[in-house]
Amino acid sequence: MNAQTLRRYLTPPLIALLLAIALFFAGGLINPDFINVTQAINIVRLAAFLGIISAGQTLVIISGGEGIDLSVGAVVTLAAILTFRITGGDNNLIGVGLLASLSAGFIVGLLNGIGIALLHIPPLVMTLGMTGVVSGTILVVTQGEMLGATPALMSTYIAKPLIFGIPGVILIWVALGVVMWLLMERTTYGKHLFAIGVNRTAARLSGVRVERAVIITYTLAGLLAALGGFMLLGFAQTVLLNLGDPYRFPSIAAVVVGGTMLTGGKGSYWGTMSGALVLTLIDSLLRAMGLAEAYQLIVFGGLLVLLIAVYGRELNLRQ
Amino acid sequence: MTLQLSVRSIVKRYGGVVALRDGNLDIQSGEVISLIGANGSGKSTLSKIITGVVAPNGGQLLLNGHPVHFSNPQAARGRGITAVYQELSLVPDMTVAENIWLAHEPLHLNFRVNRKAMRKNTEDLIALFGGTISERLQPDTLVTALPPDERQIVEILKALSIDPQLLILDEATASLDSSQVNRLFSLIKQWQAAGKAIIFITHRMDEIFRIADKATVLRNGQSVGTVDIASTSEREIVNMMIESAATPDDIKIPVVSEDAPVRLAVQNLGGGRVEDVSFTLRDGELLGLGGLHGQGQEDLLLALFGAIPYTGSVKVSGKEVHYRHPRDAMNDDIAFVPGDRGREGLLLVRSIIENFQLPSWHKYGALHNRDAAQRDARAMADDLQLVYAGMETPVNSLSGGNAQKVVLGKWLLRQPKLLLLDDPTKGVDVGTKGEFYALLKRLTEAGTAILFYSSDDDELLGLCNRVLVLQDGRVRDTLTGERLTHSELVAASMGATNNHEVA
Repeated sequence: MNAQTLRRYLTPPLIALLLAIALFFAGGLINPDFINVTQAINIVRLAAFLGIISAGQTLVIISGGEGIDLSVGAVVTLAAILTFRITGGDNNLIGVGLLASLSAGFIVGLLNGIGIALLHIPPLVMTLGMTGVVSGTILVVTQGEMLGATPALMSTYIAKPLIFGIPGVILIWVALGVVMWLLMERTTYGKHLFAIGVNRTAARLSGVRVERAVIITYTLAGLLAALGGFMLLGFAQTVLLNLGDPYRFPSIAAVVVGGTMLTGGKGSYWGTMSGALVLTLIDSLLRAMGLAEAYQLIVFGGLLVLLIAVYGRELNLRQ
Repeated sequence: MTLQLSVRSIVKRYGGVVALRDGNLDIQSGEVISLIGANGSGKSTLSKIITGVVAPNGGQLLLNGHPVHFSNPQAARGRGITAVYQELSLVPDMTVAENIWLAHEPLHLNFRVNRKAMRKNTEDLIALFGGTISERLQPDTLVTALPPDERQIVEILKALSIDPQLLILDEATASLDSSQVNRLFSLIKQWQAAGKAIIFITHRMDEIFRIADKATVLRNGQSVGTVDIASTSEREIVNMMIESAATPDDIKIPVVSEDAPVRLAVQNLGGGRVEDVSFTLRDGELLGLGGLHGQGQEDLLLALFGAIPYTGSVKVSGKEVHYRHPRDAMNDDIAFVPGDRGREGLLLVRSIIENFQLPSWHKYGALHNRDAAQRDARAMADDLQLVYAGMETPVNSLSGGNAQKVVLGKWLLRQPKLLLLDDPTKGVDVGTKGEFYALLKRLTEAGTAILFYSSDDDELLGLCNRVLVLQDGRVRDTLTGERLTHSELVAASMGATNNHEVA
């Protein structure tokens, strides 16, 4: 195999996946207990939450126009708190909780989309502002008191081993992967998404209703973040006012590490899935090294900046 | 000293791109040979191989019957071979004399530069163009202070300074005015009489007939033949340059009959740079839009496609419409090929199929039938004789003509009834142009109404039976029948009120 064919097959998503596998075995060098099936499943389970939360971010970044969604963290928190409150631990109300979470995510995403597409507010400003609005709303509604409980069935179906020792969230993540692939590669919306990411003038002159596609994209991002928040509750079992905050920056990093161009128009969800695995492994390795929590955060944050900078630089070189 | 150069089966590849696959040329002292071909046919590559600027991958150069190999331009200059190139090679912050004698300055016996001789020699060279140049052009003038035409002349003098036996002039007349060109041509005649050999590369047909003894034609990197100028015609040369001989004149689109249904009726349209434009367009008609660049032609097409806001009345097939988005116009079977391929027409980093199908994806179901989409795109690519490696390759890997075929093809896949074209042959090679003309004819025969803006007057006059000439956003004149001439078109473009006076 010569260098040219190698480059053709060695796409960024595949590089990320290989990196994830390498990191897993590197973990074994630090701590031999790191390499076993239970640990592997646990890491994929953790990556699944980040992966689901990053799904909407993938769409937003591909849509271009400096697309970014900083409100994912707040939406995750909102969805978890809503489910926690509404169900109050009652298994029969799980459906209602899910519906309420998704509706909230839908509304937040729709507002983001309208602000960005119709009022021409830059995505960074709009979604950062929306983060404040959502966080404030959570405070007003809860008054800071975390009343409620997590239904037992959510934990059973999401976090605990379901089939052959594989937790439900992993199965849901894989299913979401298929749905996202179909959405991006096999639907008119998907084709229009990539088109507006590359060149909005050319897209419009080819009949793409650009504003509509942008609004749909941010709405889907809100929905998917809310789904992630709902799932996360099944794992965390309890809620915090900043439950979703640690996902904001990694959700962007996972997309970028997966080979999606920050300028839009090119990328894939399976890349993001690989990126989520890489970031989760880095996080787990830092834990396995026995670093103090504060130092873990510092190193992880620094690595995220480094990764995004490296990918961004590569982008500049290509242009 | 006489010179006889033969170029035999030269091959030159740049990476995977073949610039020359079979370059051949023969020239001897006292001959002027014109090397001609379309853009990208390999003319410049061939001249750079002769002068040692690039090394060939195969083939032979024979100088006076002996194989030679020039590893650099100095080696070729040593044998009396040099060239004047399109892209200028002068050092802006050096004087005219320093530039001309760079690296072969006249020296004293102690190897110091003989400034006096350099100045004198430079003055002699400049005198060759005396009377056609300004007073500014002196040996001590900095090159940066000279206008493009005089820089080009310095470039020519620089080549002359080595007293070449074979001189290649690559588009050397492009930036010269007519008196300078005339002077250059009389100098060429003198050099020819003095036994120099000259290879003359140009895009201007009239220059070939004025100066050359023979013309060697290149097509797609291949020498297709050499003809004696005395016994050939412009038409024959053009036919050699293009694969299938098609000039606009061959494909005059027939006049559409008066009872053909009206596809488009425009009344008092305004918007962008357009003011108060009215006209009708019938099915099967090719209506030309002419005039100088930027007189509202593009905005007129954009308005009709719903891409910019407009006022006035637009009727499509008798139905009053007011489009607010290109999709509205597309729903009425209207298509628009924009003027700026890269910025408005294509998703450059995306694949060929995605560009072909962008306006049409919804036809393939909620979950696209990819096989059907592939099949349709392939059929269109074959129809347009698109040269491509695969449907999944990015469109920015295509040449200009092929990229334009993708832009056109993506609209033809929708089988439009009204086609709006904004200068579709700009930056397209001559062979592809011929294919476009034939395609336009097929489309009109099938009843498609076409509104066609072109910056190439020959195209408008050759293809259309009616041309609207725009100036300052208004229709200044409508040319039909006997008034479809260059002079009428130019007169109307310039806003002359009575065309007959100007013509």
